[in-house]
Amino acid sequence: MNFPSFLNPWVAGAAAAAAIPALLLLYFLKLRRREVEVSSTLLWKKAIQDLQVNAPFQRLRRNLLLFLQMLILLALLLALSRPVVNHTIGMGSLAVVLIDHSASMSATDIKGKSRLDEAKAKAKEMLDSMDKDGSAMVVAFDDSADIIRSFTNDRALLKQAIDSIQPTDRRSKLKLAFQLAEAKAASFNPEQRGPLGPKPEIWLYSDGRVLDATELSLRFADLQYNKIGTAEAGNIGIVSLSAKRNYERPAEVQVFVRLANFGPDPATTAVQMSVNGVVVSGGVKSGLLVAPERWTNEQREKAEKDQKLTFRYGADFKLDLMTGAVIRIELKEQANDVLAADDSAQIIVPPPRSLNVLLVTRTGSLWLEKFLESARLKSPKVMVPDAYEQKMKDPQALAAEFDVILFDRYQPKALPPAGNFMYFAAVPPDSKLKSAMESEAPVTVKGQIVLDWERSHPMLRHLPLRFYAETGLRLMVPPDAQVLVEGDKSPLVVLYRDGRSTHLVLSFDVGDSTWPLNWTFPVFMDRAMQYLALGSEMDVRQSYQPGATPKIPRYNLQQAAGDLTQLKIHGPSSFGTVTTAIPAAGDFALPALDRVGVYTLDPAIPQFEKIAVNLLDDNESNLLPVDVPPGGTGQMLAATGGKSRFELWRWIVAFGAIPLCLIEWWVYTRRVHL
Amino acid sequence: MPTSDTEQKDKLLTSEFMARLDQLDVISRKLLAGKMKGERRSKRRGQSVEFADYRNYVVGDDLRFIDWNIYARLDRLFLKLFLEEEDLALYILLDVTKSCDYGEPQKAMYLKKVAAALGYIGLVNYNRVSICAMANGIVAETGGMRSRTRVARMLDFLIELEPAGAGNLAEACRRFALSHRQKGVCVVLSDFFDKGGYENGLRYLSGGKYDLFVVQILCPQEIDPTLQGDLKLRDIEDGDMAEVSITQPLLKQYKANLNAYCLAVKDYITRRGGTYLFASTAVPFDTLVLNYLRERGLLG
Repeated sequence: MNFPSFLNPWVAGAAAAAAIPALLLLYFLKLRRREVEVSSTLLWKKAIQDLQVNAPFQRLRRNLLLFLQMLILLALLLALSRPVVNHTIGMGSLAVVLIDHSASMSATDIKGKSRLDEAKAKAKEMLDSMDKDGSAMVVAFDDSADIIRSFTNDRALLKQAIDSIQPTDRRSKLKLAFQLAEAKAASFNPEQRGPLGPKPEIWLYSDGRVLDATELSLRFADLQYNKIGTAEAGNIGIVSLSAKRNYERPAEVQVFVRLANFGPDPATTAVQMSVNGVVVSGGVKSGLLVAPERWTNEQREKAEKDQKLTFRYGADFKLDLMTGAVIRIELKEQANDVLAADDSAQIIVPPPRSLNVLLVTRTGSLWLEKFLESARLKSPKVMVPDAYEQKMKDPQALAAEFDVILFDRYQPKALPPAGNFMYFAAVPPDSKLKSAMESEAPVTVKGQIVLDWERSHPMLRHLPLRFYAETGLRLMVPPDAQVLVEGDKSPLVVLYRDGRSTHLVLSFDVGDSTWPLNWTFPVFMDRAMQYLALGSEMDVRQSYQPGATPKIPRYNLQQAAGDLTQLKIHGPSSFGTVTTAIPAAGDFALPALDRVGVYTLDPAIPQFEKIAVNLLDDNESNLLPVDVPPGGTGQMLAATGGKSRFELWRWIVAFGAIPLCLIEWWVYTRRVHL
Repeated sequence: MPTSDTEQKDKLLTSEFMARLDQLDVISRKLLAGKMKGERRSKRRGQSVEFADYRNYVVGDDLRFIDWNIYARLDRLFLKLFLEEEDLALYILLDVTKSCDYGEPQKAMYLKKVAAALGYIGLVNYNRVSICAMANGIVAETGGMRSRTRVARMLDFLIELEPAGAGNLAEACRRFALSHRQKGVCVVLSDFFDKGGYENGLRYLSGGKYDLFVVQILCPQEIDPTLQGDLKLRDIEDGDMAEVSITQPLLKQYKANLNAYCLAVKDYITRRGGTYLFASTAVPFDTLVLNYLRERGLLG
């Protein structure tokens, strides 16, 4: 039996303490009688006398009004205390059970139980209240939706389906789940249900933290939203992670971590960085106090001022990394943190590479060839344009073979689809960056000196550029290109990114300038090589969101092995190892990587040897359950699962206080007493 | 604005109503000897047109009254005797205690109207009318009045009467009986709410000397009180207080007591040969006079 509880007990108690004694006092104080003149008291006195002799209940006669008024007062006080009972709403005859198994549902804030376990338990409990002729369907959703069990009235099967739902680290989106639910409900036995048939019900078990809440709508189903989770759950999560190689010193990697505290109170944590599983020196930052995200700026400032606190919002690390590595960031020393998925993140840092450089020159270039010999390059090659054109029959192979291609006074007709290119007195073909033409011949600029240069650019930092260029092209620079060195008549050095290619254009022939005689030239060339080779990977390999299906280009697959037919994916322990077949042609999409962690491909695929999957989502890390049903419509049920709070005060007033008032009025006017 | 004399008299008896009363006369069930010749049969034998008896002729008798038919038959002389027409004494005892200054319609005015109607009927029929105002004894009296010419005086007398003071029915009736020895019709108009009791007073009036007619008049507020709540009742006559909480049982008991009281008065009167009539001021007084009093045999 559900005993009522009270929402306003203290208010009602205070009102009772004042009103009840006041009412009693009014009755038991000496009555003020109204004086009335009568013709004679002869018969009145006799009547009083006779009545007192005969009536046994006369003492109570004036107390009937007191009794009724006391009852009215008690009814009103009871209504004021707002009694509520939890009553179970039964499941209708056509129901869709939507269970959220996204990352936030792994939070263990329900007496040590995860939200998903709680949701599953409540859903199974609700299934017991289903109409005996009713049918239900089970759908598990995160950022997609999967039908676990189609419509059936077999409760055992439905419960089994619910039990089989596993947690993921993916984000939550409800739109697809709603659409699926309504579509399936509409198509379920429409000829039996008819247009006046029961409205399908959607029983949603979730904490409400969905990304697409503003896009949700239900056309005809009723939504019963079971809010799962508590507002007091503490969680500090990593919401952003990035790593960059220092442009100036590519061996140095900078790691930036952004933290967020989604609990109700400030909390401290320690951030630990490990490289390939080993905690490096200086890789632990302890005692970081993080302010709650739900605090306002004023609250934060007040706490900082009054309690002399210093709040941190993240951490950063620097380390030297000449090789590739997996950098892992973990949060340690967290008390009461209930979500583990956002307590770690990893990032794949590829090694700085020895470059394969190709020089395409018709007549050779002393200075460039000298540079190639002296630079730390893997296997520089020199090619005549014809050989280049020949190689261009397989542009993919050319692109894969060379990291940077230099064109010395040769205007290539075509380029590989992606790559890094440097031009000397030439421009990229079919590009917005072109040389000015006159009478179908490029315009030549004679005798230029350096006017200015981008001193802050990594390629030009600390390089005092002073040289003379005898001849050069007049470049027409598009707005999205960057002029690195400006001559007195025309741009001398321009950097232009075009899709997947990077073009560094020197408008002049270095051999026809004084620059190679200056020490700044080889330094510039070395930096340019590093910049062109590493810049595309300066931001390290991207990490993926849980649930992503990274696409591996066919070219990369072929680089690993020409006839690869299957691939093993080793993931975190919760993912395990999955073997997947590779299609014979086309690019290959990996299966959904649902859990956070590092995935290793076997065999290793170039550029996809390791894949990092991180949550990095402040919506999922924010464990504060949403009170309003997602989409704004529907009914929210109490967190006690399937039960709704039923306020009794209206019934008490309607069927208690008002009828008593009417009776009391009638008694007063009709002078009816005991 | 003070009402004029005429208006006040009209309040008691209107001209139209007086015209209706002209048809009526006070009836006495007992023939009572009056002092003067009125329009009433008397038991005394006297000169009138109504044959009463015969007696033997004696020298000196008036020859006009010899019954010659009998002489022709019997050859003897007899004298016809006729009933003497005497006046009827009509006594109206009017309660003017403070308790009559109560009710809506007011009892005192109602009583005065009834008294005025009865007095008028008596006067226009050449009866001798006396109106005595009772409170603590006889507080005012008209003395004997005859003929229509006394109507105005009677009305003036009634108008000037104001209910005041506590009642003492016994004393009033005693004094009346002592000062009015002539037999006649005695009409008592009162509420009979006398704390000293009504028996002692009415005893003086019953016993054969008077043709007693008692009219107990109460107002609707006394018959069916609409009081409610917790009250302090103040007796209008003597200021006596009674604290009551009005309840249904109390009202029921009060009415039962009132009923019993009135029945007791009726019983007392009728046992002693009188006539009792109960009336409420809610009954139009002309109905009382023209209907009820005729039905009861006071008027005819």
